[in-house]
Amino acid sequence: MRNALDTLYDSAAWIAAMFMVALLVMVMLSVGGRELGFHVRGTDAYAGYMMAGAGFFALAHTLKRGEHIRVTLLLHALAPTARRRLEIFSLGIAVLLAGLLAFFSIKLCWQSWQFHDISTGNDATPLWIPQISMALGTLILFVAFIDEFVCELRGTRKAYASDELLRNE
Amino acid sequence: MDILITLLLIVVLFGFLAGGVWIGLTLSGVAWVAMELFSSRPAGDAMAVTIWGSASSWTLTALPLFVWMGEILFRTRLSQDMFKGLAPWVERLPGRLLHTNVIGCAIFAAVSGSSAATCATIGKMTLPELKKRGYPDDQVIGTLAGAGTLGLLIPPSIIMIVYGVAADVSISKLFIAGIFPGIMLATLFSGYIVVWALMNPDKIPVATASYTFIQKLYESRHLIPVVLLIMAVLGSIYSGIATATEAAGVGVIGSLILSLLQGSLNWQSFKESLLGATRLYCMIALILTGAAFLTLAMGYLGLPRALAEFINGLGLSRFMLVVALAAFYILLGCFLDGISMVVLTMGVILPTVTNAGIDLIWFGIFVTLVVEMAQITPPVGFNLFVLQGMTKRELSYIARVAMPMFSLMCVAVLLLYFVPEIATWLPTKM
Repeated sequence: MRNALDTLYDSAAWIAAMFMVALLVMVMLSVGGRELGFHVRGTDAYAGYMMAGAGFFALAHTLKRGEHIRVTLLLHALAPTARRRLEIFSLGIAVLLAGLLAFFSIKLCWQSWQFHDISTGNDATPLWIPQISMALGTLILFVAFIDEFVCELRGTRKAYASDELLRNE
Repeated sequence: MDILITLLLIVVLFGFLAGGVWIGLTLSGVAWVAMELFSSRPAGDAMAVTIWGSASSWTLTALPLFVWMGEILFRTRLSQDMFKGLAPWVERLPGRLLHTNVIGCAIFAAVSGSSAATCATIGKMTLPELKKRGYPDDQVIGTLAGAGTLGLLIPPSIIMIVYGVAADVSISKLFIAGIFPGIMLATLFSGYIVVWALMNPDKIPVATASYTFIQKLYESRHLIPVVLLIMAVLGSIYSGIATATEAAGVGVIGSLILSLLQGSLNWQSFKESLLGATRLYCMIALILTGAAFLTLAMGYLGLPRALAEFINGLGLSRFMLVVALAAFYILLGCFLDGISMVVLTMGVILPTVTNAGIDLIWFGIFVTLVVEMAQITPPVGFNLFVLQGMTKRELSYIARVAMPMFSLMCVAVLLLYFVPEIATWLPTKM
């Protein structure tokens, strides 16, 4: 189970990384297109979809690496038992909120498919296709939060001492 | 009654934040509750649509690319090269190599959008080199902590992209507006080092080597790659060839080429930079999308309008308003990171700012400056965290030695208020 979940988060992260590369390609296509005089329709909109993919698919992996920002001031100041209670409380809230987000993301994607929603830009993409990234990404995040919650209850939750966090902003 | 519920929501918001619930989720969660209470529009569907809209919006695409560019450059030998190129020039100035901190950060800031990344990249080189030569720790660490924040003010800048999207202001113009304030702040830092060195001449080690002018010029060849990169990114924005997003794309390609030529590009470093950038972007995206939804919900509450009317009614002078806002942001910056601070407040404060007749480009630079201060105010300040990791010193010590830089930033805010053209002149010349 542990391995399966970790593989899920890691594969999603790699998909996100591919979207990041695809975003770069889209942007360079639009620069190159203008300079060299060819035109690829809808690169702006596609760049947006790629960015969304990069963001949503990386959600769970980023959480597992402890890189989503939270205020840990109070948590660190508390005694171990109280800290554990507060961790369980904040993880519980997070599970609820992530579930809410996943539910409505899937609903949005589903409705876009049902009502044949088309992008208003000149790319005319059926919106449910790029929205799959949001539906799946938030769903995996929901799973990751449940995973974290269960690990905290069992006392097996790993704290990542990550250097990466230090370089944000 | 509405006021009471609004207050309750704000208490819940800060309660969740303080309790350690992830910031991005808290923002959308509180917004969801607010919409359920105050509007007949289905809150969940509005949440999904708003989050999708902001996560896939074209204006934001510059952000992940600039983040990626910073991650690539962090893994190159750029900082070593800059130290080699700069050291011969500053050996004769009072304060000598301490200036490599300030000038190094200022130059690196022009290819990096982040304060903590600038601090870490330059510090990686200057901290050991200056320590080896016997420079006093207080000054080395203090000036680095302060100068690192230039990463935000000197374009490209992550916080300016965030502000530009939130306030619907041209990101290119914001970038260009940041150039002179950035140079001004760097000059203030360097001036401080000069004054300090003249007052404490015995604490600065003697110069280790002397160079002829020709040798100095020859050593400067190490600076060529970074200067080319700056020209490619900022030059293309200023001349109007490229949008901020396209310049970011060019920057990523340029950084990859630079790291290839230096021999630091391999599969490992490419993979690390790509995954690191994806995670960093993802972290920011969760906050940004949550904040977009919160802004929408607050609109339904009428909170921004009410606040604008309230502050209007106070009859504050514009100066007092700016001082009050600066104090507010500095206080908030002690506990929150810069991005959360900006996205959390923009939706509420902008109507007030517009009402007071403050230029939104100018306000962007102002906000960037106060966010810079937040980077070095304890207990939560990212440059402090970076330096704590690198030097293994107490957070309180680093915050104390960075205090002079903090005061200089306050001076910079005042200068910016009295001479707004520092920020607003250059964008008009685009």
